[in-house]
Amino acid sequence: MEQHIPINIKHHLNARHILSEFIYTILLSTLIAAFLTFTGITTKSFIMNLIVSQSLGISFCSIATLLLWLFKPERTASLLFIAVIGIVSGTLIGVQIGFFVLHQIFPVTLNQPGKSLFQVIILAITFGGVAWYFFYSKARIRLGNEVIQEEKIKRLSSEKETLEANLRLLQAQIEPHFLFNTLSNVLSLIDTNPTDGKSMLVDLIHYLRTSLSRTLPDRTTLDQEIDMIKAYLNIQKLRMGDRLHFRIELPDAVRQLPFPPMLLQPLVENAIKHGLEPKMEGGEITIKVAEKDDLIRIEVTDTGSGFSSFHNTGVGIGNVRERIKLLYGEKGRLILEENEPNGVRAIIEVPKRDVQSDHC
Amino acid sequence: MTYKAIIADDEKELRTYLKSILSEIWPELVICGEAENGKEALELVESKRPQIAFLDIRMPGLSGMEVAKRIAGLCRIVFITAFDQYAVEAFEKEAVDYLLKPVSKDRLIQTIQRLKNQLDSSTEPPARLAQVVEQILSKLPGREKSDFLRWIKMQNKDSVRLIPVEEADYFKAEDKYTLVVTKEGESLIRRSIKELAQELDPGQFWQIHRGTIVNVSKIDKVSRSLTGRGVLKLKGRPELLTVSRNYLHLFKQM
Repeated sequence: MEQHIPINIKHHLNARHILSEFIYTILLSTLIAAFLTFTGITTKSFIMNLIVSQSLGISFCSIATLLLWLFKPERTASLLFIAVIGIVSGTLIGVQIGFFVLHQIFPVTLNQPGKSLFQVIILAITFGGVAWYFFYSKARIRLGNEVIQEEKIKRLSSEKETLEANLRLLQAQIEPHFLFNTLSNVLSLIDTNPTDGKSMLVDLIHYLRTSLSRTLPDRTTLDQEIDMIKAYLNIQKLRMGDRLHFRIELPDAVRQLPFPPMLLQPLVENAIKHGLEPKMEGGEITIKVAEKDDLIRIEVTDTGSGFSSFHNTGVGIGNVRERIKLLYGEKGRLILEENEPNGVRAIIEVPKRDVQSDHC
Repeated sequence: MTYKAIIADDEKELRTYLKSILSEIWPELVICGEAENGKEALELVESKRPQIAFLDIRMPGLSGMEVAKRIAGLCRIVFITAFDQYAVEAFEKEAVDYLLKPVSKDRLIQTIQRLKNQLDSSTEPPARLAQVVEQILSKLPGREKSDFLRWIKMQNKDSVRLIPVEEADYFKAEDKYTLVVTKEGESLIRRSIKELAQELDPGQFWQIHRGTIVNVSKIDKVSRSLTGRGVLKLKGRPELLTVSRNYLHLFKQM
């Protein structure tokens, strides 16, 4: 099925295209002159044919470009109308110039000026029509390709957005274990230690509200993300007691930098779930945010049970890797390192400026 | 007769909470010990010989299920879980006692009633539980799932990195070890290519030579050399790899 392609003439009117069209015109005019010389319809003199056909060609091309530039037609009908005007006026002007030049070079008068003039006009209109059709088709093919390209880019970027949204949604999911364990703790603390119970509930509310709102592609700052992670770690601290210690280093200079929502959280969750929770004596989590040239570098280090407990994880981490790739292409990365003497260090490096949207 | 019970949960607050509602609805029950992890639970059961063990499923060290496997027949077990959908379904089917966190008083009353009936009728604790638990464990997600290698350890300057296996371009045998080659660099892993061939997902990694395994998604093109062997080029890599005749059939359909 052929799709109607709107003709956007503005695309067509740049110096490169105009130049290429003049070159094509000159070549075409030369061909026509050769053809006329060969068939002898007009005259056997190649140079005479060349002079007339070049002056016609150049005036066609100049007038057509001028008219297109003046009226910027968008429909095929108006384009056709311009073509007719272009060919007629191009012929009139071109013939005048052609014969004038001819007359200057070959002072001999043509034996039948009336007949030759009429003949030249007919030929000019015929060849002009053919040339016009040639240029029209060429432009149409090129514009068609451009439209296809544009749609491809549009489709790819919308696919990318959907994928990103799905991954974000996945990461904003609240782990049911975490939720129910926290609620059990709150329930118990109401009797045993209402103050702790209250602060745990406040942190849980903060955490829930943030992670639920993160399903929307709102802009977030590092400050907001770290704030949410603090709430999460506070809850875990109350649950795990002495088995968990944590430290967060967030320099003031980076607080307001934009940072994708829910990108860091899975790493912290992973450090707890696969690092410290399975380890009887627990350990420490350190989160360090730093600027490095035009990168934001975030390290999440735990002193937990290390790579050995990584066998049954990977989904959360895999999603983070995938999202970094979608958001930043090759410019962002996730590194997992062994921490000495034990545990894992996850490092996120992403460009400081905002998420790039042009990269596919 | 008074009965004894132990409570095993890594979260202190949750042990306290269970103890407090137990004392309310079954004051005669003696809580003879509390455990913070699976190992402690096991020791407590052996030393204190309780009739009942309340076991949280997720605990550091040994999980509640693993503890149960070892103490089945010694005492009656009540599992506690915040959210183990799969285990809960299995418990339902096999009539295994369990409690959901936060533990509700009504549910605990029911469970205790059942325990009391069983204990008073002086039947032995069912040893069959060990098999049931084993069965559940074997079906838990992550256990029976394909255990293909997912991460590779790589030496990187002064640190060891964990790289997702799909980032490997190819593996090459180096004596007893294997060289893994990625876009970021290469590193030796302490496993023979033979062992690796067993551990890698055969849908994603193909052995093309006695000493070479390639990542299928990184293959650029394969051509045939004059000697009848295949020559394989990977995307973004200059080196050419040899496909020996025995493995050429892999590329027949391409």
